[in-house]
Amino acid sequence: MTSLSTTTRRQRRGSAQWLRSPLVSQIKAPVVCIGLTLALWQFLSLFSSEGFPGPITVIAQTWDPYIVNPFFDDGGTAKGLGLQLLISLQRVAVGYTLAAVVGIAAGLAIGLNRFLRRGFDPLIQVLRTVPPLAWLPISLLLFQQADTAAIFVIFITAIWPIIINTAVGINEIPQDYTNVARVLRLRKRSYLRDILMPATAPYVFTGLRIAIGLAWLAIVAAEMLKADGGIGFFIWDAYNAGGDSSTSQIILAIVVIGLVGLALDRLVGSVGDLVAKGGK
Amino acid sequence: MAKAFLTVDDVTRSFPLPKGGSYVALKDIDLQIAEGEFISLIGHSGCGKSTLLNLMAGLDQANTGGILMENRQVTDPGPDRMVVFQNYSLLPWQTVRQNIALAVNNVMREAGEAERRERIEASIALVGLGHAADKHPGELSGGMKQRVAIARALAIRPKLLLLDEPFGALDALTRGNLQQQLMQICQQAGVTTVMVTHSVDEALLLSDRVVCLTNGPAAGIGQIVPVTLPRPRQRLEVMEHPDYYKLRSELINFLQQQRRLKQHRQTLTTPTVAGAAPSSTAKAAGLTPRKVRLGYLPGLDVAPLAVGLERGFFAERDTQIIPVVFHRWQQMEEQLRSGELDVAITSASAPLALNLGLQGQGAWPAITPMTVTRNGNAICLARRFRDLQIDGLSALAERLKGREWPLRLAIGQQGSMQELLLRHWLASGGIDPDRDVEFKVLSPMAMQAALLAGEIDGFIAGRYRVAKAVESGLAYVVATDLDIWSNHPEKVLTCHEGWAANNEALLLDLCSGLIRGGQICEDGGQHDNLVGLLSRPQWLGTDSALALQRQFDLGPGEASGRRLPLNRYHGDRAHVANPAEGAWILTQFSRWGWCPFPGNRLELLGQVYRNDLCSAALEQAGLPALRPERQPIPLACGLPFDQDDPLRYLEQLPFSRTTATAVS
Repeated sequence: MTSLSTTTRRQRRGSAQWLRSPLVSQIKAPVVCIGLTLALWQFLSLFSSEGFPGPITVIAQTWDPYIVNPFFDDGGTAKGLGLQLLISLQRVAVGYTLAAVVGIAAGLAIGLNRFLRRGFDPLIQVLRTVPPLAWLPISLLLFQQADTAAIFVIFITAIWPIIINTAVGINEIPQDYTNVARVLRLRKRSYLRDILMPATAPYVFTGLRIAIGLAWLAIVAAEMLKADGGIGFFIWDAYNAGGDSSTSQIILAIVVIGLVGLALDRLVGSVGDLVAKGGK
Repeated sequence: MAKAFLTVDDVTRSFPLPKGGSYVALKDIDLQIAEGEFISLIGHSGCGKSTLLNLMAGLDQANTGGILMENRQVTDPGPDRMVVFQNYSLLPWQTVRQNIALAVNNVMREAGEAERRERIEASIALVGLGHAADKHPGELSGGMKQRVAIARALAIRPKLLLLDEPFGALDALTRGNLQQQLMQICQQAGVTTVMVTHSVDEALLLSDRVVCLTNGPAAGIGQIVPVTLPRPRQRLEVMEHPDYYKLRSELINFLQQQRRLKQHRQTLTTPTVAGAAPSSTAKAAGLTPRKVRLGYLPGLDVAPLAVGLERGFFAERDTQIIPVVFHRWQQMEEQLRSGELDVAITSASAPLALNLGLQGQGAWPAITPMTVTRNGNAICLARRFRDLQIDGLSALAERLKGREWPLRLAIGQQGSMQELLLRHWLASGGIDPDRDVEFKVLSPMAMQAALLAGEIDGFIAGRYRVAKAVESGLAYVVATDLDIWSNHPEKVLTCHEGWAANNEALLLDLCSGLIRGGQICEDGGQHDNLVGLLSRPQWLGTDSALALQRQFDLGPGEASGRRLPLNRYHGDRAHVANPAEGAWILTQFSRWGWCPFPGNRLELLGQVYRNDLCSAALEQAGLPALRPERQPIPLACGLPFDQDDPLRYLEQLPFSRTTATAVS
């Protein structure tokens, strides 16, 4: 009796060994939960009268050409997902870079100047809550051109967290460091380079990270309404086409958008960690 | 002391409170630091040590007063006054070398690249951090960070090095090593240093002088202790030096007294807050009579009270002062003790004498919130001494030498300021007051009659009494207090500590009224009015007018006599309740063997001399609140009194009968 129970326990322990490896224990939970979600989705789709696809159908319907060949180009707007993504990313790159440059400059000005800070704070607080799409009509009126308008929407959406965080970062420079600067009578340039910039960098990158998420949010919305090409356009186009595989295409695009958004966030995050390492 | 390198002149720093009003962190700080000196600032937390350091650095500005370094006012921070901050303040994104280079490159802009680099490397080597030069501060231990901070500070060759608790966050071993290093470095560089510290041993090891700050709010300098230990000092050797424990216990004693004082104030004020609530509502309902029974003896000292009552300074604040006249000091003191009187205008020595129970009646916790008058005493001798050509102290001493009978002198009260002055004066001329003189206690009003009857040979009293005796041809003036201690405190306000705590508003009304009254008395243009007022029956009496007119004539009764100013009723720091003057009084008590010199004198003086009340009263009267000056008190005998070293003063005094110091 005793010997039997020990062996089973040992066997059980042996079989469970691989489950305890660090990698497995880390991905165990996500795999199980996502698997369950997909299974539930698949199960529910069986009862859908409109023929809403389950995960298996989605993959089957979009396998060729969307998944295996993301860079096909049949001319016009019929492009692979990869190309559509590149178009969107390009717009985001332009709008976001502009927002970063202008936002950090404005944040510096507001952070360093009490008058400006007090004066602009209410305005910033109001404007930062405006949803991205609300800017689109004005943007179209201003620029007349869909591409520029989309870039402007990205710019105006992404700039606020950058301004706010930069300004906060400057405000939060520890008194110790400013005291050192005052005692040493650091020159303006040295103060900016040796104290202000390193001390505010972590804050600026927090702002940039929030901003990239907002920019990605805005581009999809803007492209859906008014654009030729881009991932948002792809979704809207698929919806309008109304074919058998339209829903699957849309779902695939959503997954891609999510993954790209995550990648962008992590990219900015890791750049920030790299640059602002000393400040922590 | 060498020429002052850094002067802190009457600095006060207060911070506005969010709910209005302000918190006074430092008040009237005076300090002079010589070049190359190492000064430690010590005191309980919250006493404003770091505030003072920041003021010296120029990182903060004083509200009043100023700081001079090499005769130039400190207005902003600069590299000639380098600070080593409490938490090192190294830039975490720069390596050790970069941190030091930032300072060197910014300060030595004119120097060549090579020279700067050499300076940077030399500084790193100085603190022995060559192996860690390329590390970031995050990778260093606390002691190493502190060494970097010191290296950075010394690299730019400051004239003044300011250290804010430099070793506070370090373990004992690192601490000891770094202290030794810092001492060597500072000595080699010859840099003037001011260090804030909590550690008595650290202060003693490193400093030339230790400046002890009193408790905040309104912290001031309580004591300055010179550290006489020989240099160069070694940690262990220093501890074996015979003076070390004397100095150490002096500092610890100071800190303990400050702590007890703090607790004492708290216990006093807590019941007040509870008790104040009903009384203030009662006041609103008009139930509490805001009456103060104030005892006094008639004399010129009461002039501020008379003026205050006359002009309604008390009535306008809804306070009724009931003056109660006495003819004997002893009687007034008894009534004050029994509570029949709330407050009294007493001799300047009375508050301390009451606290020490000198009259053999047990200790009574008296406090004094203000000095009412200064000066105003004179010593007179019977006319026949004049005929013997005795015109001064030396002649008197000469005369007394072969005499069998002691000189009989009258005083108003035993242990009074007048007696102390008289004894001090006699002793400074070589007359032993306990052997050559017989003191008689008489009511001031009875002195003239006693002189006439030949019962006494002379007396010390207020100038008015002396002037009357001179006027009637009975006596002549042999000395005034200007020949003993010009500007000495004569009459002070005295009351029970508990009464003051429970009736603070009332007491402040009384004080501010007396201060305003004094202001008018001091005004020369008011002289005739004053004479008219004082010759009323309730004060000095109608027959006093002539004497009052002539009371300033203290000569032989002839017109050519010396005319002297009135008592001092007002003026620069005249009203201040000065603990340094109290310390002198204590030395005299001890000198004549009346009580041992109290070991807890600072605690006692802090309890008795309530400068906080004086400041509040001055402010209420619309005058600037001044703190007593810290300079030694100059006395006419030529031996100045330094409040920081009363025991040495006692040793130097002639006829000292001091007994062993009582340890608190």
